[in-house]
Amino acid sequence: MNELIPLMVIVPLMAALLISAFSKFNKVTKIFAFVVAICLPLIPLLSNYGLHYFGGYQPMLDNVTGVMYHPAITYSFTFLQQIIIGAVGLLTFLVVFIYLTKYKKVSGPYLFLLFLGTAAVTAMILTDDIFHMFVFFEILALAQVGIVAASSIDYSYEMALKYMILGSIGSPIMLLGIGFLLALTGSVNVTDIALAVHTGLIDATSPVFLLSLALIFFGWLYASGLPPFHTIKSGIYSKAEPHGAALLQSFTVVSMISIVLIMFRIYSSLPIFEVLVVFFSILAMILGVSLALTQTDFRRMIGFLAVGELGFIGLGIGLGTNFAITAGLFQALNEIIITALLFIGFGAVVHATNEVDTRKLGGILAYHPKVAIMLLIGGLAMAGVPPLSGFQSKLMLVQASLSCGFPEISILAIMVSIATFVVFVKTYYTMFLKPKPNDLDLEGKEVPRTMVFAMGVLLIIIILLGIFPDVVTSGISNFVGGIL
Amino acid sequence: MLEIVLCIIVILSAILALIQKDLLKAAILTGFSGGALAVLFQILLAPDVALTQAIVGAAIVPVFIALAVKKTQRSDG
Amino acid sequence: MAQVQLAILLTSAALVIIGLYSAIFIDNIIKKIIGISFIEEGANLFIVAIGYKAGGVVPILMPGMDTSWFAANAAYPLPFGLVLTSIVIGASTLAVMLALVMVLYRRYGTLSTKVMLADTSKQEEYNE
Repeated sequence: MNELIPLMVIVPLMAALLISAFSKFNKVTKIFAFVVAICLPLIPLLSNYGLHYFGGYQPMLDNVTGVMYHPAITYSFTFLQQIIIGAVGLLTFLVVFIYLTKYKKVSGPYLFLLFLGTAAVTAMILTDDIFHMFVFFEILALAQVGIVAASSIDYSYEMALKYMILGSIGSPIMLLGIGFLLALTGSVNVTDIALAVHTGLIDATSPVFLLSLALIFFGWLYASGLPPFHTIKSGIYSKAEPHGAALLQSFTVVSMISIVLIMFRIYSSLPIFEVLVVFFSILAMILGVSLALTQTDFRRMIGFLAVGELGFIGLGIGLGTNFAITAGLFQALNEIIITALLFIGFGAVVHATNEVDTRKLGGILAYHPKVAIMLLIGGLAMAGVPPLSGFQSKLMLVQASLSCGFPEISILAIMVSIATFVVFVKTYYTMFLKPKPNDLDLEGKEVPRTMVFAMGVLLIIIILLGIFPDVVTSGISNFVGGIL
Repeated sequence: MLEIVLCIIVILSAILALIQKDLLKAAILTGFSGGALAVLFQILLAPDVALTQAIVGAAIVPVFIALAVKKTQRSDG
Repeated sequence: MAQVQLAILLTSAALVIIGLYSAIFIDNIIKKIIGISFIEEGANLFIVAIGYKAGGVVPILMPGMDTSWFAANAAYPLPFGLVLTSIVIGASTLAVMLALVMVLYRRYGTLSTKVMLADTSKQEEYNE
C-alpha cells in the first residue's frame, strides 16, 4: 500500500491543525489526539516500501543525454525510514499519552506543536528533495521553539528566543547553500544532483561547489547541535518539559541523520567532507562528555550527554564505509530510544521531588525503585554496557573505525564511552544511592503511572535491540548499500 | 539602469534602517527595502514572487515590527 | 545584460553581509531581528537571480505562443516557486521572534540583548 507513504506526513499535520482549531472541546480533543497518536507508529509498519511521486509526475527520461529527471517531489520509503519513523511515532505516542494523562485540561497549541514536529521530521527523513527538506527544517525549528517556550520552566522564553535567533541565521545560510547547488545543477532533487556530481557534469573541485558544502554544513551543525551549537542545544533540552525534551532530542537525531545522508549522497566524492564530519563529531563527543561532568542540573547533564552521543552517529557516517554508516544509523536509532528513556525517567524524578539540582537530592531509590532501576539500565545502555542496544552499536562503531585504519578514533570512542559511564554513575549515585538530605521531602509523592509505562516500553525495545541487533542492522546495511 | 537604482535603494534603506535611533523609522525603512526588492523581482521576470514580496516585504513585515515597537519602546538604547 | 545579474548578485551579497553584521554585533533585539530578515531577503534575491534569463520572457505560457520558442526564451521558474515558500517562512519566523520579544520586554523592560539573553546564572543575579 504505497498510498500510505504521504499519509505519514499528512496525518500528523492534519491532526495538528484540527486540534489547534477545535481545542476548546476538551474531551473530543483528548480522544482525537490519542487516536492519532496510536496511528502514528502503525502507519509506517503497515506501509509497503517504495517511492511516492507527488502529483503523480513520474521520472522522465531525457532522450538526448539518457539521464532520468525527477520533476516531482519524491518520497522514498525504505527499511531505514520505516524503523526511524516507527521509533519517532512510538515516542510521539508515549509523549502525547503522558501529556494527556498529566493535565486535566489539555492545551491545543502544545499538542499542535508536538504533532507538527513529528510531521516535520517524518517529511525530512522521507524526502528526496533538498528544498522540501529545508522547508520542513524551518517548520521543525518553529515547533521546537514553541515546545520550549510552552514549558513553565524559568527562562524558557529566553532560551527559545536565543535558539530562534541562531536558527534564523542558520537557515538562510543553508538556503544559500541550496541556492548554489540549484545554480550548478538546475535541480533540487537529490538523486539528480548526486548523479550530476558523480558523472562529472559538475566540477567537484569548483569553489562554488565547496562553498555550497560549507553553507549546508553550517546549517547541519545548527540542526544537530554539534559544536559550536552544543550549549544552546543542551540548553533547550533542559528548558523544555521532560516529556517534551524526550521528543525534542528525537527530532534532533532524525534531522541530523536526514541532512547528513543527503549531504553524503551529494558530497561523498569530496575527501574534505568526511574529514569535516569526523572532526566535528569527535569535538562533540569530547565536549559533550566533559561539559556533562561539570553540570549540577541533571537535565542539563543528560542534554550534554545526548550531544556527545550525536558525535558517535556523525563518526559512523564520516568514516564512510558500508559497515561504519550502518553502525552510525543503528546508533541513531538506539539514541532516539535510550535518551528518550533517560529524559522521561529524570522527568519522573523532577515530578516527584520538584528539584533539579543533584546536590540537593539523594536516597530516591528507596521511594521509587521502579524508576531507579529502569533509569540505571537506560544509563548503562547509553554508556555501552553489554548486552544492551548501546553496546551493540558502539561495538560496531569501534570495529568500523579499526577496519578503516583509524585505531586512534576507536580508542577515543571507547574512552568517551567510559567517561559517559562515569558521568552517569556519578550522577546516579548522588541522586539515588547517597543518604537522603534532611530537607528533601519524598513522602507521598507518586510518579505518574504513564511515565513508568512509557519507560517500560522503551526499556523492552532497548533490551530486544541489544539481544537481536541483526533484525535492524541487516536491513540498514541493505539501505546503505543502495546509497553508496 | 532602473535595476541599479533599485539595488542602491535596497542597500541604502537597509543600512539606514539599522543606524536609525528611532525604531519606528527603522520599521518604515525596512518596508522601503522590501518594496524595492519586490520591483527587482518583477524585473527579474518573477511576477508571482514580486506580488508576494510586495505584500509581505512592504506591508506585513513593517507592520509587525511597528506593532512590536508600539508594545515595547520606541527609542534604541 | 550580464551587468544586471552582477548588480543583483552584489546586492544580495551586501544584504547577507549587512544582515550578518547586525545579527551578530547590534545590541538592540528588534534591530537584530530586522537584520535577520535582511539575510533572508538576500538569500531570496540570490535564488531569484538564478532563474533570471537575460532578454527572456516571464515563464507563463500564454495562448498563441510557440512552445519551442517559449522553452528557449522563458526564465527558469523552479527557483521562483522555491522563493515564494521561503518568503512566507521568513515572515512567520519574524512574527514568532517579535512575539517572544514582546513577552520578554514585559519581564525586563529593555530591548538590550545583553540583559535579555545573558547566561541564566547572570539573569538570576539581575533579578536579585
